[in-house]
Amino acid sequence: MLDFKRTLLAFGALSLAAGPYVPAAHADEELKIGVIAALSGGGTAWGQGLLRGVEIAAEEVNANGGLTVDGTTYTLKVIPFDDQYNAAQAKTAAERLVHDEKVRFMFGPMGSPGALGAIPVTQPEKVLQFVEGYAPKILDNEWKDDSHVFRVGLSSGEFSDPVVEWVKESMPEVKKVGMIAPNDAVGQQAITALVERYKNQGFEVWTDFYERGAKEFTPILLRMVTENVDLFDLNSNAPGEAALLLKQAREVGYSGKVLQAGGAGVAEIVEAVGPAAEGFLKYDVVDLSDPKMQNFLDMYREKYTGLINGLAPEYYSAAQILFEGIRRADSLDTSKVRDEIEKMEGWETPFLGPVRWTGKEKYGVEHQIVIPFYIMKVVDGKGVVEAKIVPDLD
Amino acid sequence: MYSPAVLGQVFINGISLSAIYILVSLGFTLLFGIMRVVNFAHGAMAMLGGYALYYIYGQFQVPYLIAAPLAALTVATGSLVFERLVYRWFYQKMFQSMIGLLGLDMAIVFTAVIIWDPHERSVPAPISAVYKVGPLFLSGNKLVIIAVAAATLAAFYLFTHFTRYGLAMRAAAQDVEIAEVQGVNTDRIYTLSFFIAIFMAALAGGFFAQTYVLSPFMGERPLMMAFIAVILGGMGSIPGVALGGLILGLSESFLGTYFGGTTSVFVTFGAVILLLVFRPWGLLGTPET
Repeated sequence: MLDFKRTLLAFGALSLAAGPYVPAAHADEELKIGVIAALSGGGTAWGQGLLRGVEIAAEEVNANGGLTVDGTTYTLKVIPFDDQYNAAQAKTAAERLVHDEKVRFMFGPMGSPGALGAIPVTQPEKVLQFVEGYAPKILDNEWKDDSHVFRVGLSSGEFSDPVVEWVKESMPEVKKVGMIAPNDAVGQQAITALVERYKNQGFEVWTDFYERGAKEFTPILLRMVTENVDLFDLNSNAPGEAALLLKQAREVGYSGKVLQAGGAGVAEIVEAVGPAAEGFLKYDVVDLSDPKMQNFLDMYREKYTGLINGLAPEYYSAAQILFEGIRRADSLDTSKVRDEIEKMEGWETPFLGPVRWTGKEKYGVEHQIVIPFYIMKVVDGKGVVEAKIVPDLD
Repeated sequence: MYSPAVLGQVFINGISLSAIYILVSLGFTLLFGIMRVVNFAHGAMAMLGGYALYYIYGQFQVPYLIAAPLAALTVATGSLVFERLVYRWFYQKMFQSMIGLLGLDMAIVFTAVIIWDPHERSVPAPISAVYKVGPLFLSGNKLVIIAVAAATLAAFYLFTHFTRYGLAMRAAAQDVEIAEVQGVNTDRIYTLSFFIAIFMAALAGGFFAQTYVLSPFMGERPLMMAFIAVILGGMGSIPGVALGGLILGLSESFLGTYFGGTTSVFVTFGAVILLLVFRPWGLLGTPET
């Protein structure tokens, strides 16, 4: 009941909050860009990052007169929906976007629950979709022979091995790893992949699960402390939960190393945890201190306040891939645009390096992006680059 | 695993959990006990308490010992508008109050989404240090919460047992009509009870936001825990809330530590179901006649 009422009013609230873009004077028509993202709950930081990245990219296009396709100039209109990091809500959102709003291009959901909920709605309709999430089925599914889904972030299948290898090399004193995850399909799937990698590298692994939505983790954390783990891996927990796990781990006396092999966003965790976040290591998708990022950061700060999640520049880049694909196809036919995007190997994205697709062997479709990633370390309350890793996926 | 040090830590964690649960549940049971109102908007009031503390303590940096009660007072005073416009229509109407206040909860939560956006924030803790006493670790923030919960419970007990208005509240809770016949001004008692209940919800909301996270949706968890603690202890029973909150916190800490999170949830909800089957009026409640 709570979910239903939340969804119902979230639609209303978001439609009010989103507001229409002011069309450029010479644009002829409107092109709707759908966004499904977690805009409430523990995944909010990721969802907002995704939405804001796409909004900035769309506004930039509109400010330059719109997107011209086959002689018609389109003003881009971003239509966001909140999936609460939840499959059922994502499915509802996808149905609204595809059937009511007639959206043909979509960003998100981010996270496997939402992605797996939305894909059965979008793919039969050939909606071109850019998603995030670790589940192999996001790409390896019944629509893979004519897939219109691109995964524009690495999944745990791509980054787990390099992260675990990095742990092995840089922390030789670590023998036992502890992991705590939500006890739903997504949590168990994410943790299973990592456990396998750690074990393959000779680590002993301890795991436990919590009910999604829980905020109090001290009993499980105390259990972990008694297991004498050397490294606490926060795996793919959403920023809200990851921050609480880190904070409460220190409160029950855990003094070992803490790493998060998954997700984006160091700043949100530092803000929530405070000084106890010092030394925390975190996988991230971009380096916000990179000078190349400055223009984007300026645009971001002009429009929004608060922390910048790494998914914002990532999805800004993903939006540029879509716009370039549309320009090359000179068509809004999603299959033609998809074909052009597949051919964009080597095209330089703003922040993700040159476009590289992989996945044919692993998922049956060459729609998995290959991008470098970072291990950030919290020093004096800020994330600094500890290592930059380019996964070898060939 | 069963060493005295671990057991001691389990106990301390359980007490700090219980303190939050008791604080959240007190106001909830008060509204039900006296006005027979099932306050589905309790979580929303707690959430407003979290935001009030965020501004008064986190942004305006008013000293904490003033900020915490001031934030709760601000919300309680502001909520008198809701009392006049909404709650008053549902006094002594239990089932109607559920639906009406569910609507109020939705209205408040999504107004908060529009005003503050759904982004999660943190409220700084007054004491962020963690103290090591022998083998035990004590969180400064949680010690403050335990102290405030204990003081609030004691103050509430003293108020309801040794003051004129407190005695009138208890009389109204036992039988409104008899209390009216005895000269108790129930309208005034309702308003006073409402004010105290929302004050405690907002105070608990501030602590909850400080311990966990602040967002427009943060009230759902406190609301659920309040429900369980109140059902365990007995709807409308103040000592029952204290007992229910204590059992809930200690069992969660013990079961979660020794048997894992999933077992803890399974056993806790299983126990509540059994209680509802065999003693639906709760541990210290009284059966409906």
